[in-house]
Amino acid sequence: MMIESQGKTTEPQAAGVVLSEKARTLPSGEREFMMDVRTADLEVNMGPQHPATHGVMRILIRTDGELITGAQPHLGYLHRCAEKIGENVEWLQYLPYTDRYDYLAAMNNNLGYSMAVEAMLGEEIPRRAQMLRTICAELNRIGSHLIAFGTYGLDLGAITPFLYAFREREWMMALFEKICGARLTYSYLRIGGVFNDTPPGWLGEVEHFCDVFEEKHKEYVDLLMMNHIFVKRTADIGVIPAEMALDFGLTGPMIRGSGIDFDLRRDTPYMLYGELADAGAFDVILGSGAKGALGDCWDRFYVRVMEMIESVKIIRWCLGSIEPGPVIAPLPKVLKVPAGEAYVGIENPRGELGHFVVSDGGKVARRVRVRGPSFCNLAVLEAIMPGTLLADAVAIVGSTDVVIGETDR
Amino acid sequence: MLASSAVREYLTNVWDGVRTTLVGMRITGRYLLQKPITVQYPDERLPIPDRYRGIHYLEQEKCINCLACARACPIDCIEMDAIRHGKELEWVSFTLDYQKCMFCELCVYPCPKDCIHMGTEFAYVSFDRSEFVHDLLSFKGMAPDAKVRMREAKEKKALKEAAKLAAKQAKDESEGNGDGD
Amino acid sequence: MQHGNLVHELLSGVAPEAVPEWATILVTAVIGVSVLVGLVSVLAMFSVWLERKVSGHIQCRYGPMYVGGWHGWAQSLADGVKLLMKEDMIPLGADRVLFVLAPALVLGSIFGAMAAMPLAPGFYFADINLGVFFILGMSALTTIGVIMSGWASNSKWSLYGAMREAAQVVAYEIPLGISLLAPLMVAGTFNLLEASEAQSGWFGMKWFVFQNPFLIPAAVLFFVAALAETKRAPFDLPEAESELVAGFMTEYSGIRWSFFFMEEYAAMFLMSIVGAVFFFGGFESPFTSLAEWAFVAESGADGVVTEAAGIFELPLLYHVTAGTVLAAKALFGVFLMMWVRWTLPRVRIDQVMTMGYKYLTPLALVVVLATGFWELILS
Repeated sequence: MMIESQGKTTEPQAAGVVLSEKARTLPSGEREFMMDVRTADLEVNMGPQHPATHGVMRILIRTDGELITGAQPHLGYLHRCAEKIGENVEWLQYLPYTDRYDYLAAMNNNLGYSMAVEAMLGEEIPRRAQMLRTICAELNRIGSHLIAFGTYGLDLGAITPFLYAFREREWMMALFEKICGARLTYSYLRIGGVFNDTPPGWLGEVEHFCDVFEEKHKEYVDLLMMNHIFVKRTADIGVIPAEMALDFGLTGPMIRGSGIDFDLRRDTPYMLYGELADAGAFDVILGSGAKGALGDCWDRFYVRVMEMIESVKIIRWCLGSIEPGPVIAPLPKVLKVPAGEAYVGIENPRGELGHFVVSDGGKVARRVRVRGPSFCNLAVLEAIMPGTLLADAVAIVGSTDVVIGETDR
Repeated sequence: MLASSAVREYLTNVWDGVRTTLVGMRITGRYLLQKPITVQYPDERLPIPDRYRGIHYLEQEKCINCLACARACPIDCIEMDAIRHGKELEWVSFTLDYQKCMFCELCVYPCPKDCIHMGTEFAYVSFDRSEFVHDLLSFKGMAPDAKVRMREAKEKKALKEAAKLAAKQAKDESEGNGDGD
Repeated sequence: MQHGNLVHELLSGVAPEAVPEWATILVTAVIGVSVLVGLVSVLAMFSVWLERKVSGHIQCRYGPMYVGGWHGWAQSLADGVKLLMKEDMIPLGADRVLFVLAPALVLGSIFGAMAAMPLAPGFYFADINLGVFFILGMSALTTIGVIMSGWASNSKWSLYGAMREAAQVVAYEIPLGISLLAPLMVAGTFNLLEASEAQSGWFGMKWFVFQNPFLIPAAVLFFVAALAETKRAPFDLPEAESELVAGFMTEYSGIRWSFFFMEEYAAMFLMSIVGAVFFFGGFESPFTSLAEWAFVAESGADGVVTEAAGIFELPLLYHVTAGTVLAAKALFGVFLMMWVRWTLPRVRIDQVMTMGYKYLTPLALVVVLATGFWELILS
């Protein structure tokens, strides 16, 4: 409405949609008449450099004032040919690359890939290695959800919870730094186990972290999740009904936020998770629609925040039953994987992270294919964003908790 | 009935807004009075754990130029060059390109002599890209003790050869003497 | 105790008879303007430093620590120098005249508003009868500058910011004005000095909030409306850094950008002063009473300092104490605004409107009505 009149064009057809002296039917069925005012929707590029797109994603938004009438995410700004690299480096050498697609949950990525290769090898993983893998994966899930929590606050204008979340994440990273030497791209897991046993006292430190984290978690809930402004900003926004969630193939907190009880850790038990589920060590958190419609942004946020406590429970269970032993299966240094193919899907913090690997019996994979959860979850944006306000767009993008490194790979 | 529920919602909104704001301000206010947890970085530093994966260092004396680490590297950022003099090595270069290196530590494990390690140094800053191709060698050419060893070996060899020669000459002489007979 | 303008009296006192009256007024004005400009810049720099320290400590970190030695006190100075040194950029598609004019208008109008702000009982720039209305009117002018900047930038994000600012300020002028009506009724004056005067007594604790129970909710309403008026979080929608990149200031950089920044902090201080004067006693505090009492005891007067008292007999200690008390109250208000900012998420634009029109305005009206009845019954 405003941009048009700034242009110096005299021909009305030169500048986009012109609805002069025409009527259009609003979604409500009402007829709206446009007499003299030439109006056109404003197309805004949100990104690739925008504070709220969590990386280099571009969303082409069509707006009518503050109201969004259409949105289309554009991907590919961070494409690094990760899958193709997998076909060119040895089995183990691909492991550091898996760190880099979902860089907030590198341990989980390592786990997915090494489990896919192990499925073809048919190797038995030592129990202590499985315990350490579980502890690390769940610690990393906490870290990843902390980022989701903090950046969501940041998207909605609350800066302080972000710093608080980073404080605890920093601690988590320090723990990983002690066990594997890296803070973000861990490559701690190896095909067949983990590469190093814990340093002395590390498990005690993890326990201490769990104790403190549970206290701080209450603050997160009070400070942000239950804040009235926050609730009003997220409840009833970006509602994904259960039907739609299934149609779009959403996974992880996105689908659980819509009330569908689906968690790969319990439903396709891998590693120790079957045992954990039987022991009742963790619950699957579901969106309840407590503050608005079921499947809104608040529900997804709620699922993430509460899952952190479930992860703490899992870690505690593992800490209680971990025993000394070998941490890696005896495998040759240069791995040759028997010909075949395997698909392993694991529960990443963002949803189902699937690795499909094909081997022709050589030292190098024939094909590595990754099913990224953020990539699949992002598709729903186009369906739920129209009809919301510009500020809600930020809330909705934040509630999908995408990592652009993984959507683009 | 409808009006009363609307009024109740209105008042609940006001109350919730004020209450949750105060709850939040209590939390932030409490942290305002606490000591910060950050450290003043260049002056204070957090301890770096032993397993930290920083800039590599090489125990050059142990290294046998077997290229195991270079082969293990996913991005081929390790290059080494040495001239072999029998058992001894004359080092030309052992470079790591830190523009490529992703600090995955895969180069450390295949080493048969356990001579390449990752250190605790992490800040590697330069104005020039070429400076990121870092030479890990502590000395070029041959190690001093290797030189000594080589000299000794050479001397030994020379002695041996001299002895051999002498023996041969003696033999030749005795044979020559025999011939001469 | 009503005093004349300290500077003017001082000048009149020392100037020879031959100097005409208008000359002393002019010199007074020049001195006043320079003091004001210096005050606003120093205030903005101090507030930025304070904001960074407050936010830092709330977030478990230190904030600036290096520049200047003690807790990075000179950080804002260094930043100011940096902003001055920066290239003055005007986007190619921008409307150059409006683009340049907008920050000047924003800063100019806040300077204008500050003219009616008293710093001490005898130190003010303009003693205006309708002081509050003048301040509210002038500070509302900044909106024009913000809209100008949003339009002139020729950026979509800036335009969004400008539109939000327009809608928001229009919505919040109303509760801001109405919530101020309540203390105005108690004070019976629009003049800030007189309102402060009306609260003397009870050892400096006869503040309006203690005089009338309905002034406590009025103060809360005023605080919320002032937050929105000064574009502070949770109402910082015009700049909304996570939604609109930087809103109306997206295309600004360097010293022009810092004008908007200075305006924000000056407006915060100004609103806090207004709040302090009309709710929390203005200059009055036990310390002020003590200073006054000491002066009276010393001079032997019967508690009334006549206007005839010459400039050199004025109780300087009293003025300094009163000024410090007011500044401390205002800075506490600024601190409160910062505390709120670093706690709350941002509200959405329709919620801002809802809150302004459906919550604050009716509640303010109720409070005004209740205050009126209370006053009526008491009198």
